Amino acid sequence: MPNGQVGRSVPRHESAEKVTGRAEYVHNLSVAGMLHLKVFRSTVAHGRILSIDTSEAEAMPGVHAVLTGEDIRKLVAEPYYGPAFHDQPVLALDKVRYVGEPVAVVAARDPYVAAAAAELIFAEYEELPAVDDEIEAMTSDAVVHDELRPAGTFPDLKHLDGKRDTNVALDYHLKRGDPEAAFAAADHVFEHEFRTQPVMHVPLEPMVSLAVPEQGGLTIHTASQSPSFVRSEVARLLGWAENRVRVKVPYLGGGFGAKLYIKLEALVACVALILRKPVKLSLTMEEQFYTITKHASTFRIKTGVNKDGRITARHCAVYWNGGAYADIGPRVTQKSGFTAPGPYNIENVEIESYALYTNRPPAGAFRGFGIPQLVWAYESQIDVIADELGLDRVAIRRLNLLDETDPQATGTPMKDAPVKAVLERVAALMDWDGPFDTGQGSIRRGRGVAVGFKASISPTTSVANVTVAADGSCSLAMSTVDMGQGSATAHSQIVAEVLGIRAEDVRVVNPDTDVTPYDMATLGSRSTYHMGHAVRLAAEDARAKLDALAGEVGRDGWDGNSIASLFLARYGMQAGTITGSGTYMPSYAKPDPATGFSDNITPFWMVGGTGIEVEVDTETGKARITKLISVGDLGKPLNPRIVETQLSGGALMQVGLTMLEDMALDGGQVTNASFSDYKIPGFADIPVEIVNDILPTEQRDGPFGAKGVGETATFGVAPALASAIHQAVGVRVTSLPITPEKLFRLMQERTA
Amino acid sequence: MESNAMEIGRKRMAFTLNGRAVEADVPSYWNLVDLLRDFDLFGARESCGIGACGCCTVLVDGTAMSGCLTLAQTVEGKAVTTVEDQDRDGTLSVVQQAFVDEAAFQCGFCTPGFVMMVGELLKENPEPSDDEVRSYLSGNLCRCATYPEILKAVRVAASRLRG
Amino acid sequence: MRGVEILRPGSFAEALDLLAGGDPETRPMSGGTALILMMKTGVFQPERLVSLDGVEPDYGAITVTQDGGLHIGALATLSALGRHPEVARLTPIIHRAMPHLSNVRVRNVACVGGALAHGDPHMDLPPILAALGADVEIASAKGARSVPVEQFIRGYYETVLEPGELISGVSIPPQTGWVSGYRKCTTRAVDDWPALGIAVALSMRAGAVARARVVVSAATEKLTRVGEAEAVLLDGPLRPERIAEAAEAAAGAVETMDDALGSAGYKTQLLRVHLRRLLTDIAGGESAT
Repeated sequence: MPNGQVGRSVPRHESAEKVTGRAEYVHNLSVAGMLHLKVFRSTVAHGRILSIDTSEAEAMPGVHAVLTGEDIRKLVAEPYYGPAFHDQPVLALDKVRYVGEPVAVVAARDPYVAAAAAELIFAEYEELPAVDDEIEAMTSDAVVHDELRPAGTFPDLKHLDGKRDTNVALDYHLKRGDPEAAFAAADHVFEHEFRTQPVMHVPLEPMVSLAVPEQGGLTIHTASQSPSFVRSEVARLLGWAENRVRVKVPYLGGGFGAKLYIKLEALVACVALILRKPVKLSLTMEEQFYTITKHASTFRIKTGVNKDGRITARHCAVYWNGGAYADIGPRVTQKSGFTAPGPYNIENVEIESYALYTNRPPAGAFRGFGIPQLVWAYESQIDVIADELGLDRVAIRRLNLLDETDPQATGTPMKDAPVKAVLERVAALMDWDGPFDTGQGSIRRGRGVAVGFKASISPTTSVANVTVAADGSCSLAMSTVDMGQGSATAHSQIVAEVLGIRAEDVRVVNPDTDVTPYDMATLGSRSTYHMGHAVRLAAEDARAKLDALAGEVGRDGWDGNSIASLFLARYGMQAGTITGSGTYMPSYAKPDPATGFSDNITPFWMVGGTGIEVEVDTETGKARITKLISVGDLGKPLNPRIVETQLSGGALMQVGLTMLEDMALDGGQVTNASFSDYKIPGFADIPVEIVNDILPTEQRDGPFGAKGVGETATFGVAPALASAIHQAVGVRVTSLPITPEKLFRLMQERTA
Repeated sequence: MESNAMEIGRKRMAFTLNGRAVEADVPSYWNLVDLLRDFDLFGARESCGIGACGCCTVLVDGTAMSGCLTLAQTVEGKAVTTVEDQDRDGTLSVVQQAFVDEAAFQCGFCTPGFVMMVGELLKENPEPSDDEVRSYLSGNLCRCATYPEILKAVRVAASRLRG
Repeated sequence: MRGVEILRPGSFAEALDLLAGGDPETRPMSGGTALILMMKTGVFQPERLVSLDGVEPDYGAITVTQDGGLHIGALATLSALGRHPEVARLTPIIHRAMPHLSNVRVRNVACVGGALAHGDPHMDLPPILAALGADVEIASAKGARSVPVEQFIRGYYETVLEPGELISGVSIPPQTGWVSGYRKCTTRAVDDWPALGIAVALSMRAGAVARARVVVSAATEKLTRVGEAEAVLLDGPLRPERIAEAAEAAAGAVETMDDALGSAGYKTQLLRVHLRRLLTDIAGGESAT
């Protein structure tokens, strides 16, 4: 019987801790005897290491030790890690593959001493030809890795091959219908190239990990989104049983994908074991830029259309700039790759999607997991097509969008994916058919819409435990990491709903792999659905055990207020514990290697729509978003207020990635790795009018009808803005970011 | 470098921390955030390291500054106030409560800095316009982009403080 | 960051004595925001810092001079400048620009003297002071001298300050009969370093521009007086054609630089547009920042 815990805007459990500055972050943590590490990094993009001179650094007073890759190799014979390929050395071995790659590390009691000593390390390299661009990487003679070693960790990446002499880490292909014939028969064929730039997540809590060697094992306190993976990967590297590695994660000062899989943990683990001391590595903001980025991409999209605007064929070639180490890039390439044709019903489709190695900092997951790059291209192109054919931009989408009964390109049906409803809602909120003031003089106005969709990561597993103490109080143990998305609060609401208690009374145990059970990771908007089900199952298991206990002690039933009396009746005192456990793994059918088809590629789809109104200064190219509308299909919200902050937060972050952020690279060197020159949105960059809209839908197989929302509002921002700008000033931007100078140049070219 | 290069300028100094007279042994290269960490105060955090994000906001003699750009020794003899002072009587300050009520944070890492700066804003200007709020808080960044909720929290706090 | 000796002189004179030797390893520090950034990034590692913090309150004072001008002590913070009622009354251009300079915390500690001595072309205050015809007062153990702001900045991060010299204050002449305005143009985030700063001061007589100062910064290697634009404006009314002509003259004359904030060509366009708009605002009697 519903008791109103789910669907209620429960304030975050950690509210008081966060506003007082007392919330626990790894950043705050120190332990007795701890040494601080500072990383010495490569200054060349691709080179063979000839020598590393650490003598001056070692001689500096206060320096405990200086270690290089060769020291790591004495502890771990094959010190390479990664979720898709075991390609990333703990410290560079033999070669360096990007500017900023860790080459050596200094340990000292005083972090300033470690930093000063790191400046006294000198390395000599034989420089090798480097490859920077993703297109160039397809054919380049410069090969980043001589040999590729697939990790074989995840079922969806089991097909990865070991390859030689190529920069292609993964290629994904899909073919449906007869695209060649359809293009030949089409009334119009459009071909475009859209590009996105490298950007960084810049969580305000820079990456930080602390490893403490303990008798027979190791505890790693780390700002990670994936404690279970850190545990298994560090154990694998060390050749240990998993239970010797304990990974603890308190709150995260932002993640956005930057803190996934394994980042600093392998290094701190190895150094702690070699030095037999606790060691902590706290990156600076600058160093984050050398650690993980978002894939730059090139998307060549070719579309055949009949004269009414119906899309008949589409060819998608997507090239992902993965940087020097694959990280999770292959999964981005595949999972996002199969949605490249967009949420459109197209009979004839071909997709090629390539994860490419280059000599840039590694690229990995970033809020949206590749989807914003794709939506940028397919939603921009459909606007071009509408303009060319003289069709309304909403009408052409309406004509082509998938229905919920239609199969997506892979063959998986669009169950509970209300793409059309999202579009109609955006259009209604914008009063699309109403009059619109397009401005005058040097200020011109425009508006645009865009709709995108995403599959969840599959197949993945979540496990949760719900513990009921003898006084009736409940704890939830799970390895979902609360990095600001409010997962601890939302999942406590599920426990409360099932057990008939208040969400505020459920304690949530932060991830600690000795205590909290396995979870694949906190990523890709998967937690609400996957962990939500696991938590529901765990709570239901606890409830069943409480039912049994009630039976044992001769009660007809129980409620949230009478739990303690059951224990008292059974054990004669306040004693005993009930533990409910839940494991959830959705079904999955892996794509056919020949066709790329699968009728069950994802447990659920997420749909996001964006509407933007913009003002452009025609003399300077400065664009200002005056209204930003985000419509999210997220099922029934577990906590509407938190969901709203996720919608506007995701959209506004994407505004930054669309208009401001751009990692500048010069010969592989990031030249703006600081907030002085890498600008993220501040208060003045935020549109004055922001509308969040939760589409009234239900994910029928989701926990209490819910599904994830962390990425939904990011999808459509860039193309909706480009569309609005096009209406305002008649120019079409095809590469991100959309800067004033770029717009000004395009306007000049147009008038010339 | 010469053997004692890091030791140059280290000194023992006294100052007032959240109303309490304290002393510390301070290396010359410490910034104010380092000094506060030495007192187990973690509400001020070094994030961007260049004074742009506001995570390290601290009051020195009642004036807000970036802890990451303030050499620790320069607070000798001065009064340092951190976010931890705001609920010293065990209850959240009006600004803090407004942040809770308006859900004006997500990951929480920037939140103490915002709370401190909003407190300063409302001292200087009890009834700020939205534009004045945006301008005053332009030196505080929130990567989760909780800006709309923060703006609401400032309005709520301002109205409660005015009574 | 390395160890550094932090000296705290008891008086301005004592500070000058400590700096008198001209030792490049000894640097004065007021607000310290720029200096500490350079020390943190390792660009600069002085051995001694002479802290001017709290040295003689007089050197942080803002006073109205007998002739109706302003005297600003070198150690006045930007916040103090922004809050001061006489600054708002006599030089509204400074008052209006202040909320757009860096951020509150930096303004709370950064001092007027430091903003000038840094020589960074992206500072907003120097072009404003140059347009107002201000002089920089310089002191050393050997004596004092005074230099107009526009001559004070000699190049990219370069000033006329000699080793051992300190800025002691800035004097702004009376602004009676002058109107002035400043535009800060950012090209990335709204709150950012300017890609272009333009400060204009005009003295009007009988409907015509009698005297003009047009100063450009940020887009140029150093703050630059634009005589070509001034020449167009002088002796005529502030009419749209003339304004456009002056803006065009500035665009033709000023040598802008490429950097991360934009290409030289784009900055020239910004100069053309924003100088025209600023002059139009001034002609319309609007406040301009």
